Amino acid sequence: MAAGSMVGRTLSDRLILVAVIVLGIVMVAPIVWALGLSLKTNAELMVDTSSVLHAPYTLQNYWDLVIGSPVFRWFVNSMIVSLGMTIGVLVLSSLAGYGFARLEFPGRDIIFVLVLFGLAVPEQAVIIPRHQLFSELGLHNTYIGLILPGLSTSFGVFLMTQYFRAIPREVDEAAMLDNATRFQVFWRVLLPMTLPAQATLGIYTFLHAWNDYWWPLISGTNAQMYTVTVGIASTQINFAESAGLGFLMAQAIFAALPILIVYVFFQKYIVRAVSGGAT
Amino acid sequence: MSVAAAHVTDSRETRSGARGDWSSLLYVAPFLLIYIVLVVYPLFSGMWLSLHKADFFGERVFVGLENFTRLLADKVFLGTLWNTFYFIVLTVPALAIIGLGLALALNRTTRAAAVLRGVFFSSSVLSVTIVTLLWRVVFIPDGGFIATVLEMFGKPPVAFLSDEDLALPAIAITTIWWCIGLPMMLFLAALQQVPKELYEAAALDNAGRWKTLWSVTLPSIRRTFALVIIIEIVLQFQLFGQAQLMTLGGPNNASRPIVLFIYEVGFNRWDIGYAAAAAQILFGLILMAALAQYFVARRKGEA
Amino acid sequence: MAELEIINVSKTFGQSKVIDNVSLTVGAKEFVVFLGPSGCGKSTLLRMIAGLETVDEGEIRIGGKRVDALPPGERGVAMVFQHYALYPHMTVRENMSFGLRNVKIAPAEIDRRVAAAAKMLEIEHLLQRKPAQISGGQRQRVAIGRAIVKEPHLFLFDEPLSNLDAALRVRTRLEIAQLHQRVDAAMIFVTHDQIEAMTLAHRIVVMNNQRIEQIGTPMEVYSRPATAFVAGFVGTPCMNFAPVEITGASPFVTLRLPDGSMLETRVDRKALPEGGRFKLGVRAESVRPCATGEGNCSGTVKFVERLGDRTLVYVLLSDGTTIVAEDAGMSRIAIADAVGLRFDSAGVHLFDDVRGYHAAEGA
Ligand SMILES: Nc1ncnc2c1ncn2[C@@H]1O[C@H](COP(=O)(O)OP(=O)(O)O)[C@@H](O)[C@H]1O
Ligand SMILES: [Mg+2]
Repeated sequence: MAAGSMVGRTLSDRLILVAVIVLGIVMVAPIVWALGLSLKTNAELMVDTSSVLHAPYTLQNYWDLVIGSPVFRWFVNSMIVSLGMTIGVLVLSSLAGYGFARLEFPGRDIIFVLVLFGLAVPEQAVIIPRHQLFSELGLHNTYIGLILPGLSTSFGVFLMTQYFRAIPREVDEAAMLDNATRFQVFWRVLLPMTLPAQATLGIYTFLHAWNDYWWPLISGTNAQMYTVTVGIASTQINFAESAGLGFLMAQAIFAALPILIVYVFFQKYIVRAVSGGAT
Repeated sequence: MSVAAAHVTDSRETRSGARGDWSSLLYVAPFLLIYIVLVVYPLFSGMWLSLHKADFFGERVFVGLENFTRLLADKVFLGTLWNTFYFIVLTVPALAIIGLGLALALNRTTRAAAVLRGVFFSSSVLSVTIVTLLWRVVFIPDGGFIATVLEMFGKPPVAFLSDEDLALPAIAITTIWWCIGLPMMLFLAALQQVPKELYEAAALDNAGRWKTLWSVTLPSIRRTFALVIIIEIVLQFQLFGQAQLMTLGGPNNASRPIVLFIYEVGFNRWDIGYAAAAAQILFGLILMAALAQYFVARRKGEA
Repeated sequence: MAELEIINVSKTFGQSKVIDNVSLTVGAKEFVVFLGPSGCGKSTLLRMIAGLETVDEGEIRIGGKRVDALPPGERGVAMVFQHYALYPHMTVRENMSFGLRNVKIAPAEIDRRVAAAAKMLEIEHLLQRKPAQISGGQRQRVAIGRAIVKEPHLFLFDEPLSNLDAALRVRTRLEIAQLHQRVDAAMIFVTHDQIEAMTLAHRIVVMNNQRIEQIGTPMEVYSRPATAFVAGFVGTPCMNFAPVEITGASPFVTLRLPDGSMLETRVDRKALPEGGRFKLGVRAESVRPCATGEGNCSGTVKFVERLGDRTLVYVLLSDGTTIVAEDAGMSRIAIADAVGLRFDSAGVHLFDDVRGYHAAEGA
């Protein structure tokens, strides 16, 4: 914006434009290709995949999907797990964030540093003992079992603590002079003020839960408990026979669609949540 | 992530925070409980486990550091280390440079730029399984997108995913496609932070466009560049789904990363002591990167 | 009769004492201003009254009842914060009724009080808005409204005007004075701005370095400052100070100014503490330029500040001391003129140089 607006259209401007367009094509090509495949009968694809480039197209694969695929079941599972995890993270992080930011208790600052340390512990590093623990507790292949590990990440607590700390103390004090109890200060006054952070954290958590492949793959081994992400992966086993290529792609498109639609509408918030989550 | 600054703002000890008492702990207790049970305990129990020969059914023999010495002699494991580093070299600089380029090109207020930003970020919201599905039909020799294009020019198809030299690069391309949104957005955010006066001053100094880019824009986002590199190293270190779904680590272990090794040793071979030991090595490596990130992020003021 | 009594109160933060053995009584319906430089402990004292800081030593009584162990809400005080501290997610109406609802006041009564306060403050049309949708001055009114509806016997203001622009500050200052006329309550107002203090207060409490320097009416504080600090802090331009030597014996003393010129006084030698060193203090308005040789001393004009209704003349004495004198608005004095200075005897103060206390006045 700044540099570009000062100089008129030059050759380098055009080169940049071309480069961006080429990259843009690379971005959408796989999706368009998959979409094309999904609109073709398997018989036709067997003969020649370049038939994707011309009619006839058919919704047969999507119809097959609707009548005979467990993908709906997976959707329900994903929904339960993602919503459960999102709500859980919001509740736990808000409580803990308020606690760390505003209350005093023995060892508070040390505990907070220990919690921050959790940001540096990747899930993969604790997977073996965690898996054993869940086996002993009989939590594999349960919704609780799929949700719980997501609640242990420090990121939400860190974010909410920072956010609560940024609210001026004067606000708490005004509320205390207004006879609010400590819980009322939290619940009626401060918590509503953290709404933007709640949105960021909620979106971030939901997206992560929805797209998570690692833990559901390890814990939800029963096909009845597959999330969409794991379910789609499970169908890729028979990938080699391109007999099912069109159907597979229909499944991929079908699974991608809801999240892409949500993305189109909430792009601003999703971008903020994902970028905020990284730094 | 200004962890250090956060402490300062809170030094005011007042009644409003309520005196130090145990009931205050109730607010943090639910999270702490889960954190201790699901992070702290597994972390230490994993370290302990890594000193044992153990299988899933509870057989445990203390073997000291034997798992680690075995790992360091294990060709497959060393191969996964190499693959992981190679993968990082393939992806991280590309992500940073393409991300920066896109950010510079799309840092305008036009509608087209906004749409393109949306397009480049869109792949980031997809799950790894969808991404790999999309890219496998690009790479497969039998009806894949590239094969079809080659065929139109009368060329034979290339089997990217079953070629030892091409498998990991193909995964890297898939990953760059999948992850490009984040570095672009981080750079865009950093570019927005560059004070407009700097550009105005540069214009008054008759700095040309490239000169401005070189001596105003890039120096202003140096810290972000370092941050992006480290964040991406941490992320790409954890490569798993793409390799597991596209190549299963093959051919001949050519695309097997550390995490896939841990997964297979732990959950296919059930050699959990050995897997735990490999996990400790992964943890140590990521910890170093995370510490680097912490220190870069802390030096916020210095750009 | 006393609304508020502060008895030997002290407060320590970590190692540093911020309030040192302070005592003060505020009468019912009295308007008291805490005045002092930033960091002197004004807010801390106010917050201890409100219950937002604990009291380490001493007692605080409100309406005769000891309150220093009570939570803020139960002290019957209302406070207006420097940054307003409105609840951003609540409408103006909700902001004002929040405190009343918490103590279960009947909804009809809440509505009545909110309506009355909104009318008084002319914010009726804003009741449905959120704080982000109104201007800074309006937010200030809402913050005041939130205090009024509680119908407290004691209002506490912590630098409530410092976030407003100059014009609004003057207006709001007048409105707070009017508000005090209307409500049946005492007010304590914290500021570092002496004009606010002078215009609003019945009594000013001048604070410095964790202690009270002087308590008095605005005119007392201005015309008979208890300490050199008060004398220097109150009034613009700052009072002139100069070290002096006491000469001349009985019955009245004569002062030797630093440039050697002599100033005869009517101060009885016996009224001064023995053996002290002294400092002369005199405001610009009590020093008039005159022809050389006519006044008490003379010097060269270094600088002239024309304020319209008066002119400030900075005069350099032969020893390097600068004395600011006041002349008429139409003064013709120019830089580098040689002038004499005549001291108005009623406006001359002597301060004990060691402790800074007021020793005598009337030269
Ligand atoms: N919570 C606190 N912890 C430590 N020192 C404090 C705290 N609050 C105030 N102080 C210190 O106490 C002194 C008085 O502060 P304050 O009452 O806010 O001054 P004022 O309102 O007069 O500007 C200052 O030096 C300040 O730094
Ligand atoms: Mg203050």
